[in-house]
Amino acid sequence: MQSVIADYLPLVIFMALSLVIGGALLVAPFALAFKAPDSEKLSAYECGFKAFDDARMKFDIRFYLVSLLFIIFDLEVAFLFPWAIAFKDVGLFGFWAMIIFLGVLTIGFVYEWNKGALEWD
Amino acid sequence: MNIVTGFFYLFSTVLIASAVMVISARNPVHSVLFLILAFVNAAGLFLLLGAEFLAMILVIVYVGAVAVLFLFVVMMLDVDFAELKQGFLQYLPVGALIGIAVLVELVFVLGTWFQAPGELITRASAVKPGVSNTQALGQVLYTQYVYFFEISGLILLTAMIGAIVLTLRHKVGVKRQDIAQQVARTKETAMEVKKVPSRVGV
Amino acid sequence: MIPLEHYLTVAAILFTLGVAGIFLNRKNVIIIMMSVELILLAVNINLVAFSSFFGDLTGQVFALFILTVAAAEAAIGLAILVTYYRNRGSIAVEDINMMKG
Repeated sequence: MQSVIADYLPLVIFMALSLVIGGALLVAPFALAFKAPDSEKLSAYECGFKAFDDARMKFDIRFYLVSLLFIIFDLEVAFLFPWAIAFKDVGLFGFWAMIIFLGVLTIGFVYEWNKGALEWD
Repeated sequence: MNIVTGFFYLFSTVLIASAVMVISARNPVHSVLFLILAFVNAAGLFLLLGAEFLAMILVIVYVGAVAVLFLFVVMMLDVDFAELKQGFLQYLPVGALIGIAVLVELVFVLGTWFQAPGELITRASAVKPGVSNTQALGQVLYTQYVYFFEISGLILLTAMIGAIVLTLRHKVGVKRQDIAQQVARTKETAMEVKKVPSRVGV
Repeated sequence: MIPLEHYLTVAAILFTLGVAGIFLNRKNVIIIMMSVELILLAVNINLVAFSSFFGDLTGQVFALFILTVAAAEAAIGLAILVTYYRNRGSIAVEDINMMKG
């Protein structure tokens, strides 16, 4: 248990440093920056959008389908990691278990391709 | 109080606080963002428990994919969420009552459970010393739990097909590229040579 | 070393918050689904805590499968929600009554 903490010490240091730097960059302008505001400078500007508008515009459902398929393949890849590390230990049985798993998901992939879910229009 | 204890209390405090915000935030976008924070802190708890692989999978799958999916849906549906929030205070007594009842029952369980003597013999897959967490998981996942593994593959297949059936709508009248048809074109199908007599036209 | 009970308490509080969230946000399906995710997370914490303290990997394997099922469930649930919204223009729970006899 103690070794886990030792292993992840660089991560903790990294996160602490990024917090400090991010916080400093957020706070520093209040103290350091030169301020000469006028109404044009203070108005929000976003190229091509109205400045104050509802952020919720309906966007296309196909984005959702893409992210949904991403989740499935994300999980598939997640199952590959321990297999790759323990490849020598699981032997031929483990190899074929993974091939069957991948084959099942390939059926889905072929279905998805034939349905045209990967095409935009 | 050593460093592990400190991290445990940090992670669990932020986890519970963000869980409270998930169920009580007024704006559902904030709810989703607090859900992400809750998952990240749960990943921290998993790390403290030594389950490194699960911690990373939690970050990759949940923070990277599921939370994005929730965010998509919240942003995609043009719903008046203030209207849906009505009745929150009305349900608060019932919700709090049921919550407290469940919590008290769980705490009773916590106070009285004990480990059966000789329980350690019945372990299905004991942790081997000197093997990393991911490798140890890999050793049992594809051999001892192979049926569960294949079933999870089938569940993913179901989810994939279900998602396509539910959400895929093609626009009608869109011209598509058919590469096989393009490649199968020959000189005969593509062009036609006509003899045109002069000063007559086609 | 933190005692097992501490982890179980955190999981119990998280589970309770998830259950309470379902009751408090009875109209909003999205928040209800997030509460279900919280409940599953609490279950996962329990499994991993027991797995770690008893030195048995089974808990972690099951937590992995729960993660898989939860992700698939969220994906399909949200797909149903989107389809429902397209048909009815609303996601309020009390509008889901077309199958009432």
